Amino acid sequence: MNAKEYKKPTINLSRFRWVYLIIALVFLYYSAQLFKYQIIDGDIYVARAEDNRTNVISIPTQRGMIFDRNGIVLARNIAQYNVTVTPAELPDSQGEVRKIFDQLSALIGIPVNQGEVNDQTAGAFTPCYTNLGIFQIVEIAESLWPFQPTRLKCNLDKETAMIIEEKAMDWPGIRIETESVREYPTGDQTAEIIGFLGPIPEILLDYYTEKGFVSGRDKVGYMGIENSMQDVLSGTNGVRVVEVTVGGEVVRDIEEPIEPVIGNNVYLTIDYRMQVAARAILIEQLRYWNEFYMRERNKILSTTGVVVGMNAKTGELLFMVSYPSYENNRMSQYIPGDYYEQLSIDEAKPLVNKAITSELPPGSVFKLVTALGVLNEDIVTPEQQIGCTPTITLRNQFYETDIGYSQTYFCHDKQGHGPVDFIHGIGYSCNVYWYKTAGGYPGEVEEGLGIWNLYEYGAALGYGQETGIELPGEADGLLPNPTWKRLNQGENWATGDTYLAGVGQGYVLATPVQVMNAFSTIVNGGQHMQLSMISKTENSEGEIIQQFEPKVLWDITKDPLIHTYQGNNQTNEVKVIEPWVLDLSMRGMEVVTGPEGTARREFVELSENINRIAGKTGTAEYCDDWANSQGLCVPGAWPSHAWFAGYAPAEDPEIVVVAFVYNGNEGSTVSGPIVKKVIDAYFELKQIDAALGGLQPGN
Amino acid sequence: MNTRQVWQRFDFLLFAVVLLLCIFGIALISSAIAGNPTLAGHPKRQAIFLAIGLVVLFLVASFDYHIWTTLSKPFYVVVAILLLVVFIMGAAHFGAARWLEAGLVSIQPAELAKIAIILVLAAFFSSNIEKINNWMTIFRSLALTLGIVIWIMLQPNLSTSIVIFVIWATMLWISGLETRYILIMIGIIGLFLAVSFLLDFPYLADYQKARITNFLQPDETARHGETYNVEQALISIGSGGWFGNGYGQGSQVQLRFLKIRHNDFIFSVLAHEFGFVGTVIVVAALVFVVVRCFKVAQNAPDAYGALIAYGFGVLMGFQTIVNIGVNLRVLPVTGLTLPFISYGGSSLVSMLLGIGLVENVHMRSLKKEKEHEID
Repeated sequence: MNAKEYKKPTINLSRFRWVYLIIALVFLYYSAQLFKYQIIDGDIYVARAEDNRTNVISIPTQRGMIFDRNGIVLARNIAQYNVTVTPAELPDSQGEVRKIFDQLSALIGIPVNQGEVNDQTAGAFTPCYTNLGIFQIVEIAESLWPFQPTRLKCNLDKETAMIIEEKAMDWPGIRIETESVREYPTGDQTAEIIGFLGPIPEILLDYYTEKGFVSGRDKVGYMGIENSMQDVLSGTNGVRVVEVTVGGEVVRDIEEPIEPVIGNNVYLTIDYRMQVAARAILIEQLRYWNEFYMRERNKILSTTGVVVGMNAKTGELLFMVSYPSYENNRMSQYIPGDYYEQLSIDEAKPLVNKAITSELPPGSVFKLVTALGVLNEDIVTPEQQIGCTPTITLRNQFYETDIGYSQTYFCHDKQGHGPVDFIHGIGYSCNVYWYKTAGGYPGEVEEGLGIWNLYEYGAALGYGQETGIELPGEADGLLPNPTWKRLNQGENWATGDTYLAGVGQGYVLATPVQVMNAFSTIVNGGQHMQLSMISKTENSEGEIIQQFEPKVLWDITKDPLIHTYQGNNQTNEVKVIEPWVLDLSMRGMEVVTGPEGTARREFVELSENINRIAGKTGTAEYCDDWANSQGLCVPGAWPSHAWFAGYAPAEDPEIVVVAFVYNGNEGSTVSGPIVKKVIDAYFELKQIDAALGGLQPGN
Repeated sequence: MNTRQVWQRFDFLLFAVVLLLCIFGIALISSAIAGNPTLAGHPKRQAIFLAIGLVVLFLVASFDYHIWTTLSKPFYVVVAILLLVVFIMGAAHFGAARWLEAGLVSIQPAELAKIAIILVLAAFFSSNIEKINNWMTIFRSLALTLGIVIWIMLQPNLSTSIVIFVIWATMLWISGLETRYILIMIGIIGLFLAVSFLLDFPYLADYQKARITNFLQPDETARHGETYNVEQALISIGSGGWFGNGYGQGSQVQLRFLKIRHNDFIFSVLAHEFGFVGTVIVVAALVFVVVRCFKVAQNAPDAYGALIAYGFGVLMGFQTIVNIGVNLRVLPVTGLTLPFISYGGSSLVSMLLGIGLVENVHMRSLKKEKEHEID
């Protein structure tokens, strides 16, 4: 080729400097950007890359079991079979996938195609609780976590699970997953004690997440022991820190995995046999009286009751029946909305453990507080006879010079009881005796016990405070005093208030466990035991972590708990309750179940009181929302709850039982027999156990 | 000059740097496979294309570039027809038809179009260099450009269309277009964009609009899609530090958080695994190649040769700037490859063909050796 062929370039060569300038500027700018991202802000991106590749996997642990005192299983975990699909592992061929889904659909009953995947259905998608077809579920799962198994159907029967398991080789991506689900072998017999599990509540999400719980997978206790012993039962999830690919596929462990710690087992002090017996006796009694009322008055008496029993010497709760309760097994997989709704609106409040939560007027069972007070404070002597007239007219004064107005109170016996001493005051449950001694009565009791003293003696027996039983939602009842009334009612304490409080009416409220605990203190020589229902806790290896030990909270005959008052002012003087006061009170309670007492019919006339049961009846007038809605609150003739607090044997009590029947009308006839039968059952079982040489745990 | 003399003037430094960049590109693509079976064959394919490209390079360098004054016209027609075929019956890739299945390999006629337009415009401008400041010349060159670019726009392939328009505009400019013409044209383009904005860009496909929207207003919550890709690219780059995570060691690459990593985002792979130092060296090498093209253009024996070398300099420079700009989140996501490094047979062969032409021009330039040493 010849150089002449070339023409001189005539393009604008001077413009090249602009080209180089642009190149230089861009190069510098990009280098600066690169420097900013890689060097200045590098740490941020290193952290984000680290965050990308690391995934913390929680290894689920096993929740501990719950047993009764003899080792009977009250809560355990059972395997549930779920079928899962891992989209990334499905065959590439659409035809093969379709074939697998067709066969799977026939087995598990989920249509191959159903519904449509859109933002709404995908957002609301919850594995196992969806109406979508298999393809639709896979589509959603594929977009969310293609390498993770997603549940197609939960709780397969074992046979179906086995069939699918066997096909695992032919059906890549389809697997059977075993999930641990809570089961309550004793179901509604113990539901009020055990409770149930549910998903982690939104409000506690941070708390539980911090403790390693996984929302949507791990469950927590909602009620009962499952709730109160949550931390003991739950165990700790294990942790794996792994490297994952963008699809979530695990590449390797980055850190040494932390193995899960299995939850501890909890043994209750509850004797399941007594629990069953007490419930059966309560239900039978309700049935009997409801039939009776149906016959006589064409209505039912009550559907609600409580029976609780404890060991007076140790403070161990032996049984706790709150009827009606519910079937906690129905909550084991998820909480069914309709069932929960039904339980919530039920007037008998089956979800509520009424033994600890219901604050009720205790009525005459509260007279033991007055009784301890009037003797210990020398208001009366034990032998002093006080006229128990059919009616008594007392003045209701709001302050000392208040003329007030007169009000007539009645004794439950229309004939009255004539003059009675202390023991028979309890035995006959003569209201007039207690009005006069609690509030004073000119001519007979110049100065009554007074509200402040009543308050002191009530508090000494544990009224107005929680027992501290290991259950959630315990109420503290109400032990009123003038300060409380001024703060809460904006009114002065009236003399009439004292009369009413003296017989456990008016402002006084108590829970069944408080009543039981108070009686236990009296019959246990004044030792107020810590009420407890945890016998022991042990770890998965069977090592005992915590063992029940009887704990005396206070002794009213030794610890000077009773403050003295001048007017409304507390003085520095404190005193104990004399043991003989307790003894005499117990003699009074023996009269109750004796041939002359309020419960003579139930304990003496209808059957023999072989186990030497003593106790106190209570017929507590009430007027609550329900009674009002039923038109029962007739002035002067309010409806009544039926109480009976009993213990046995009378001379060395070891068991205290309280029966309460809502709207039960009369303590002696309705609740008395429950206590008697339950205590009889207790001693019968004790005899059987003794004959067998003691029941072995695990039987 | 005889053939021996001509080959003595072959720019070995340019060739060596280009070859190193290509080999390094294959290494990066190997790292980018990251266990993805569909990418497994890519390094080998890229190596084959490199071999083909080198053959093309030497072939193209061998014959005086003036043969393209006659060859470029039929080449232009063939490319236009190929583009038409792609437009009518192309396979769907990433929402737009761009590939032409030709036996075992699929070729991207759009890559050929870039070469065709450079050659055709170089011929046109060099022969009309005296009457460049004339609306008729401008419109004729635009018509030549549109004859090809219209099919690319219809694919739709906005980024390649923009590349071709940039080539046209910069070649027009370097040919000596007076400033007033430039200002008038900028005015027209500005008006066009303003009207487009009001009409919501009717000529853009939805995915193209989405890319631009994503760039201007990133959706922070998006887990997938364009924002996710750019975000992951940035994480990959940023976590590289001074010296990178090491070849084949980058978690973002190896665990596949970075998408399209063998292609559009190969720069991020580079920055992630080789760090600031490695990246600046590679970018500097690319800048060297581009600057070398412009130097060849400046020293070319005639306007035709100068425009060819300049055209390829613009093509490589522009693609480099846009590709890195996308990776650094300075520009919206396009589909432009990083020259010599990104995976893609058509692109690699085209680029090597371009280098062959630049070498060709260099070899036939009258400049003395000495002056080249200073370059």
